[in-house]
Amino acid sequence: MPVQIELAAEPREVQGRRVKQMRSQGWIPAVVYGHHTAPRSLQIELRALSKVLARAGESRLISLQVAGGETPQTVLVREVQRDVLNHLPLHVDFYEVSMTEKLRATVPLHFVGRSPLVASGDALLNEALTEIEVECLPADLPESIEVDISRLTDFDAIILVKDLQVSSGVELLADPNEPVANLSAVREEVVEEEVAAPAEAAEVEVVAKGKAAKGEEEVPAEE
Amino acid sequence: MLMPKRVKYRKPHRGRMTGRATRGNEVSFGEYGLQALEPCWMTARQIEAARRAIVRFLRRGGKVWIRVFPDHAATLKGAETRMGGGKGAVDHWVAVVRPGLMLFELGGIREEIARDALRLASHKLPIRTQFVTREGLAESASEAKEAVA
Repeated sequence: MPVQIELAAEPREVQGRRVKQMRSQGWIPAVVYGHHTAPRSLQIELRALSKVLARAGESRLISLQVAGGETPQTVLVREVQRDVLNHLPLHVDFYEVSMTEKLRATVPLHFVGRSPLVASGDALLNEALTEIEVECLPADLPESIEVDISRLTDFDAIILVKDLQVSSGVELLADPNEPVANLSAVREEVVEEEVAAPAEAAEVEVVAKGKAAKGEEEVPAEE
Repeated sequence: MLMPKRVKYRKPHRGRMTGRATRGNEVSFGEYGLQALEPCWMTARQIEAARRAIVRFLRRGGKVWIRVFPDHAATLKGAETRMGGGKGAVDHWVAVVRPGLMLFELGGIREEIARDALRLASHKLPIRTQFVTREGLAESASEAKEAVA
């Protein structure tokens, strides 16, 4: 697969807690490492990084040009730490790949096609897997793997990992018999209008009752 | 309503709600989620009301995951009771919610429907919440940044 996505980075001197100030100025700390390269701290502009992350995910090769470096490095996104609330990246790990060495990467599954039962609203599609780990040469790395759900014509039908179609150079690392997708019947929830009895808190069973019981058991006392 | 079957201690300490949710803060089962933005004690009644709002709206189709469970007993002293005399009686059950916690997840439906269902659910809750998607995290992040800029 040709390298298409480009990303510019700068070497980073700032380490530790001081990266907080860097983030407030629109720079995100990153690191690049690889099998044959020593880890190197980088900083990347947030806007450019967000666009690249949205396009590349963890399954597309990125051409990373570090300022002052001679040739761009071919990297994969290995890990993205995000803020819990605004989901902006806090730190990114890049893995430098060697085009002649096999690598392991997580590839998203794309569910395509129409299952007649899902289309009619009688069934729900259960996506047991949404991504899968593969091993291959970087050039063979698929951007995504398609799962054709039109095969799911009845409730007993199931798509397993071994049913996935991948090119010859790509090895799926998941258990071949692991389910990928199946159907389940749509249940209509009855919205009962019963007057809910208040939660009888006193009825809840207590595991270790009273001080005597507490002393007998090996359960450590509350701090 | 949700409540534990058995507990280790009848009247737990109140604990603290500082910080953010470090676990259960991602869309793990469905495609869309409702994420808490503020800390609170969310009662079993509020969780049930939100669940009903979702189920009533979806009617048929879609899967719902409730990601919070009210496992913390909240105690109250009786009305017009003088201070002292020990801790009050267990009154209801709450889930301790910190910002970032995923409260509900939906799957098997279109995004617009999920948004509407979770919007209705959010009106039953005592805190601000936000709608998040599984795949769209990167997208929504860039959008959020654009909005800030």
